[in-house]
Amino acid sequence: MDPNAIIDSYVGDVVRHLPRRQRTDVARELRSLLREEVAGRAADGGRPVDADVTMELLAAFGRPADVADRYRPAGFTVIRPSDAPRFTWFALGGIAVIWLITLPAALLGVPPVVGWEYGADAWWGRLTVWWFGPGLGAFWWPGVLITFTLLSVLATRRRESVTTAWAPTPAPVPRNAIDRDLVNRPLGVLFLALALLGASALLALPWLGSWAPDLPEPVLAALALDPEFLQWRAPWLLLLWAAELALFIAVLLTGRWGPITQAVRGALDLVFIALLLWWVLGGPIFATAAADETTKFILVAFVIAIAVDAVVALRRAATGRRLVRTAAAPL
Amino acid sequence: MVDDAGQLPKLEQDLRKGVLVLSALSRLRTPQYGYSLRQELARHGMPIEEGTLYPLLRRLEGQGLLESHWQADDGPPRRYYRLSPQGAEAYRELTSAWGSLVSVMDVLLNENDHEEE
Repeated sequence: MDPNAIIDSYVGDVVRHLPRRQRTDVARELRSLLREEVAGRAADGGRPVDADVTMELLAAFGRPADVADRYRPAGFTVIRPSDAPRFTWFALGGIAVIWLITLPAALLGVPPVVGWEYGADAWWGRLTVWWFGPGLGAFWWPGVLITFTLLSVLATRRRESVTTAWAPTPAPVPRNAIDRDLVNRPLGVLFLALALLGASALLALPWLGSWAPDLPEPVLAALALDPEFLQWRAPWLLLLWAAELALFIAVLLTGRWGPITQAVRGALDLVFIALLLWWVLGGPIFATAAADETTKFILVAFVIAIAVDAVVALRRAATGRRLVRTAAAPL
Repeated sequence: MVDDAGQLPKLEQDLRKGVLVLSALSRLRTPQYGYSLRQELARHGMPIEEGTLYPLLRRLEGQGLLESHWQADDGPPRRYYRLSPQGAEAYRELTSAWGSLVSVMDVLLNENDHEEE
């Protein structure tokens, strides 16, 4: 085979991976250089310029896609190595959660397809319908994660490029980016004040009629709490709030979260979840059905948010304990 | 312990990678085309794979450190590279940094030799 034809084919394969505006120029130069390299290699070995020498050179030069990579400037990282395990857990864990919720519903609920008689109520029919519906559809989750990660990386790169254009020194790193356990005291106090205000409003709800007598009767009726709920399930909230208040004041005083306070936060979160589930499953909360359903829907959303906080707190507590043990261990 | 068959060549390759740009810049005060530059570096004991050197020249040109032009004297047309004013400045600074690095490494390595004795 003609060595020049082999080189032309190889060069064509390399520039295929490059931006269009570079292709002609790089192809011209690379072709010229490779021909000289082949001639030089053949002369050094006392061999003719043939297909064998050409193939040896091109094999050493590298795969066309790899060579094209070397012509490009360094790219940018979409997922940093330190984030990769967490990202994988989020992406695959999300699919698993969607499957865990949708699969039992598809297998045990009403037949998922109306008007489809054959196998519609058999397990394999339901499984098929599930797979081509929510099963495959669950892959939207990693897609969403990737899309938002890309947007975040692009925004960060854009911000950094703008910053370096005019700032002589890089922007200082926020303290809580280095020390995530650090507590922002002014924000913490504000949060505490708002939480106390919200708690007071909730505690006043059973006596709404006496401190806001001008409210229309339908509103008062809609916000009337169930007497059984008020007597048995509601009072526990006061104990829990008192414990959380004590914890938060302790954290504000020390100025940072530690392994013990994180563990207490995680434990209180778990108790809170148990209490909210009892509220949701243990009977009506409000006297009217509409208010009751809406409230329970919101409480379920709270349960999910608190569960996430519990996982974060317990993980940080475990990491903190491990670090303390490692520091105390003899070298 | 370093595995001679596996890790050592890789470590040496990483070491050489650090001086690749400086060695290429050092030979481009006069115009050179890719093949002649590679031959000259190899003659001075700095062999660089062709698949590494040629893309590197393009990247350095993209960064404004090199200038290039096509020229055909008594052979096929070739692309000649030479230092741009910005590249000459970068070369001076890198040479100075290299001098400091060599001094520091000399001290570090000699101290190690004395400790071993």
